[in-house]
Amino acid sequence: MTATTNTSTNRNTNKEAFLNTIAAKLGRERRTEVQRPAIREFIPDSYGPLTTDNLVEILKEQCFFIHTQVIESTRELLQRTLDDLIEANGGGNVMTSGDPRFREYGLAFPDAAVWEEAAGRAENIRRAESANTAIVFADCALAESGTVVLESRPDQGRSLHFLPAHYIAVVEREKLVLRSTDAAAALNRRIQDGEPVGSSINFISGPSNSADIEMKLVVGVHGPLRATYVLI
Amino acid sequence: MSLQTDSRNFSERTTDGLGDSFMRSAVGSAQDSLKTRRLSAATALGDWEQWRNVGQLIRQHTLENLDYYLEQLAGNIERQGGHIYFAATKEEASSYIRDVIVRKQATKIVKSKSMVTEEIELNRVLLEAGCELTETDLGEYILQMDDWDPPSHIVAPALHKDRRQIKRVFTEKLGYTGDETPENLAGFARTVLRQKFLEAEVGITGCNFAIANLGAINLVTNEGNGDLTAAIPKTHIAVMGMERIVPTLEEMEVLDNLLCRSAVGQKLTSYITVMGPSAAGETDGPEEFHLVVVDNGRSDILGSEFNEALQCIRCGACLNVCPIYRHIGGHAYGSIYPGPIGAVITPLLGGYDDYKELPYASSLCGACTDVCPVKIPLHEQLIMHRQNIVKQKRTGAADRIQMKAAAKLLSSPALFGKTLRFAHSASRMMSKQGRIVRGPALLQGWIRSRDLKQPVKQKDSFRAWLEQRKGGAEQ
Repeated sequence: MTATTNTSTNRNTNKEAFLNTIAAKLGRERRTEVQRPAIREFIPDSYGPLTTDNLVEILKEQCFFIHTQVIESTRELLQRTLDDLIEANGGGNVMTSGDPRFREYGLAFPDAAVWEEAAGRAENIRRAESANTAIVFADCALAESGTVVLESRPDQGRSLHFLPAHYIAVVEREKLVLRSTDAAAALNRRIQDGEPVGSSINFISGPSNSADIEMKLVVGVHGPLRATYVLI
Repeated sequence: MSLQTDSRNFSERTTDGLGDSFMRSAVGSAQDSLKTRRLSAATALGDWEQWRNVGQLIRQHTLENLDYYLEQLAGNIERQGGHIYFAATKEEASSYIRDVIVRKQATKIVKSKSMVTEEIELNRVLLEAGCELTETDLGEYILQMDDWDPPSHIVAPALHKDRRQIKRVFTEKLGYTGDETPENLAGFARTVLRQKFLEAEVGITGCNFAIANLGAINLVTNEGNGDLTAAIPKTHIAVMGMERIVPTLEEMEVLDNLLCRSAVGQKLTSYITVMGPSAAGETDGPEEFHLVVVDNGRSDILGSEFNEALQCIRCGACLNVCPIYRHIGGHAYGSIYPGPIGAVITPLLGGYDDYKELPYASSLCGACTDVCPVKIPLHEQLIMHRQNIVKQKRTGAADRIQMKAAAKLLSSPALFGKTLRFAHSASRMMSKQGRIVRGPALLQGWIRSRDLKQPVKQKDSFRAWLEQRKGGAEQ
């Protein structure tokens, strides 16, 4: 009891001393209110107005450079597209997130594992590690950088995006925006309104890769070896 | 490893670098390809100069209000049940982390690449505490397996090694039996490290930027090791230099774009993640989250003439354009922070006693300043260092005498003219077949590797020739 109190007092003293040093070096009192500069006004817009079709073209072009396959499908064909992709990945175990859109779109993968709160930490990680293909729904996608954005939730863990060998993200066309500026602004609006966001927000742009050996690009290092986006 | 990676003197270290032809060709081709990639990614963003201005604005605003944003960050981390610790020194930082690990009775640690953990000598402290520690960034893992060889680039730490050396390390240390293709070497490391991730009890990462209004950290990676380090172990400890913070995700987005494009020429790297303590109901991610904020000399830079050096976002673009880095390589700097930014901040963090040569490892061409995405006036700061070093009389006596003589000579046209007249006969003793081969220390650096022509006779000099021509034209 005493030990805990001491530690937390020490930590607090540490913090106060630390921040006081900073204020002193800056030659002023500690600040309790700050107006942040309106940076959005300064960010140049180099694209102008764009239609969804324009965004799809930008996304496809970028995905070519980041070794990511883009498949255009429809809500009706989605099940078949995903089944074909699972097969093309060599079959094996499939793990999906528990996203409600799987049910909404009437998708079913027999024998597939699902990330679920009830399974607990060790079991969810074990399932993800033994999965050959992961399938998730993107919250939104960024055309310019070829990025899918996803938040962690009880039905969608962090390691689901990293442990399986192949990664498939379904992207609804209407969720496509131009670039990270748009996604960051939308997320920050939610944070400022006090809405909860996932404890992990993932901006994923293609498969994992490294150029640590002789600057030669190797696709597939710790995370997925291959990434596919299915546009519907 | 601490800030210092090599205790030998600067000239021994550079001699090593200059003599390592593999390293020099590896660094040269890496620089060429990174330069091209940076340029195309920067151009793709449109008005790059305006983006740099915004980057500079964000960094300067954050530094001016650093106490405010750090306090906001602390409140938001604690509100989510996370812990934040403010460490004034490197010893405080590394002992706090060791104590957390000891309290957890953990021994299996995975780490993702972080320069600040090198600075606080975390690996040494944890190894001494009996931890089994694994660096999981591919480049860092190669260095660890090669008996903790120091990194030579802040983004590509194993740049100085070729595939044959890497294969040899894997074969000797890990029983690797495959060939030397990068794909197979990386695939082998993937298998070994996958097991380490699954067994780890504590994950340690750096932090590209902390987000003050969210109470989270941002990691920018390509391999996915940073995310696995934070997702799988039950405890996540993140370490950040105190200046690496942004107000909100909006500023983070601008800096991440500048960082990815400047560092590796990508629009965004494969994995950009904003992460904090796990929320209720989430089954992976850290049950216990610690953020360690490190000062270790940074507050002395704050508000000083070198304040702008703290704007650095560690992209390494200045290394990739530096002609000196190209020739001497990263190890010659003797610091975990090499290149132009290393030559600026290493003497600030480690003092002139050990690092007074580094500000001279520059031709002052200014290429570093031109590429810096947050507009740090790097070459001007190197000149400021040199002025301080001279003012503090830290240059050698011989250097001082020679510089004084040179100043006198070069500031008087009459004296300069007279000297030129006698230069040919005066240099006769030092020359052989029209080239100077001996001379005072000031000349040695040049003539060791290049020819220096002996000054010509007065009558053959350019000035004399010009006078004659003038005369000719008038006639």
